[in-house]
Amino acid sequence: MDKAVHTESEAALIDDLKRGDSLAYRKAVRDYSPAMLSVARFYLDHSSAEEIVQDCWVTVIDAIQKFEGRSGLKTWLHRIVANRCKNTLRSSNREVATDFSESLEPELANRFNSTGRWDLPPKLKFHESADTLMEKGALSDCLDKHLSALPESQRSALMLYEAHQHKSEDVCNILDISASNLRVLLHRARQRIFLMVETFQESGEC
Amino acid sequence: MLMCRGLAEIASDYIDGELNGRQNLSVKLHLMMCRHCRTFVGNLRTSIHLMKAHSSAHPDADVLRRIDARVTEALSAKKSGKSNDE
Ligand SMILES: [Zn+2]
Repeated sequence: MDKAVHTESEAALIDDLKRGDSLAYRKAVRDYSPAMLSVARFYLDHSSAEEIVQDCWVTVIDAIQKFEGRSGLKTWLHRIVANRCKNTLRSSNREVATDFSESLEPELANRFNSTGRWDLPPKLKFHESADTLMEKGALSDCLDKHLSALPESQRSALMLYEAHQHKSEDVCNILDISASNLRVLLHRARQRIFLMVETFQESGEC
Repeated sequence: MLMCRGLAEIASDYIDGELNGRQNLSVKLHLMMCRHCRTFVGNLRTSIHLMKAHSSAHPDADVLRRIDARVTEALSAKKSGKSNDE
C-alpha cells in the first residue's frame, strides 16, 4: 500500500541520494527530519533525539544503496530512527512510560454532570476558519506554547498522524503502541488544543 | 443511550471515521438533538485543522541546521576518503 506514496519526485530524490548528491541531502534533511525528530522524541529526551536523528542520516548515506523502495522513504527513515531509539532504551534499561487509561482530559471531564450531560458546555463556536485564525500571530504563538507543553508521547502521535499524515498502522509500528492506545494519545492531544483555543477565543489570553 | 460525556470520549474516533456502524449512528442521533455536542465536535474539528496548519509552517530551524551540518560533514568525509567505511 505504501507504493501509492512512492511518487516520481521521491524516486528521483532517492536516485540523487544514492549518488551522494549534497543538494539532495539538504532537501531530504529539511523535508524528512521534522517527522524523524517526532519519532525520536517519543522515546528519548530532546538532545538524545537530535543525536539519534543525526546518526541515522549518517547511516543513511550508506544504507540508501540497499533501499529498494518497498516502503516509502518516509516510513523507511522512521523505522531506522525507531529501531535506534529502542536499542538505546534497551541498553539503558529504560522504558517509555505513558498513561493510556483515561480518554478525557481532566479539565474536560470536569465539565459534565453526574448524568453525563454538559455542565459547562462549549460556549463559543470556533466560527472562523483555521486559516483566518492562524493569521493572528498571537494564536500561533499560543499554539506553539501548548504544542511544546504536550507530553512527548501525545505530541509524537499527533505530529506523525496529523502533520506527517502517516497511516495509523504505521504510527503504531513506529511508536510500538496498540491501535487503541494511539487513539487515546490522539484524542487527549486534540482535547488539549481544543481547550487552548477555547480559552484563547474567550479571553484573548494564552 | 449515548450521553454527552460518552460522545466526548469518542469524538475523535467519530471525526476520523473509526467508529463501527452502530456507534456512528448513535453519535449522529445525539448530534441531531444536542446543540452543545454539535459545537464541541465542530470546535474539535477546527482545532485539528489549526494544529495541522500550524505545525507544517513551523519547523525547528536550529535543530535542522545542526543535522544538515553533520550530514554535509559525513558526506564530504565519505567522498574524500572512501577507505574509512563505518
Ligand atoms: Zn450532547
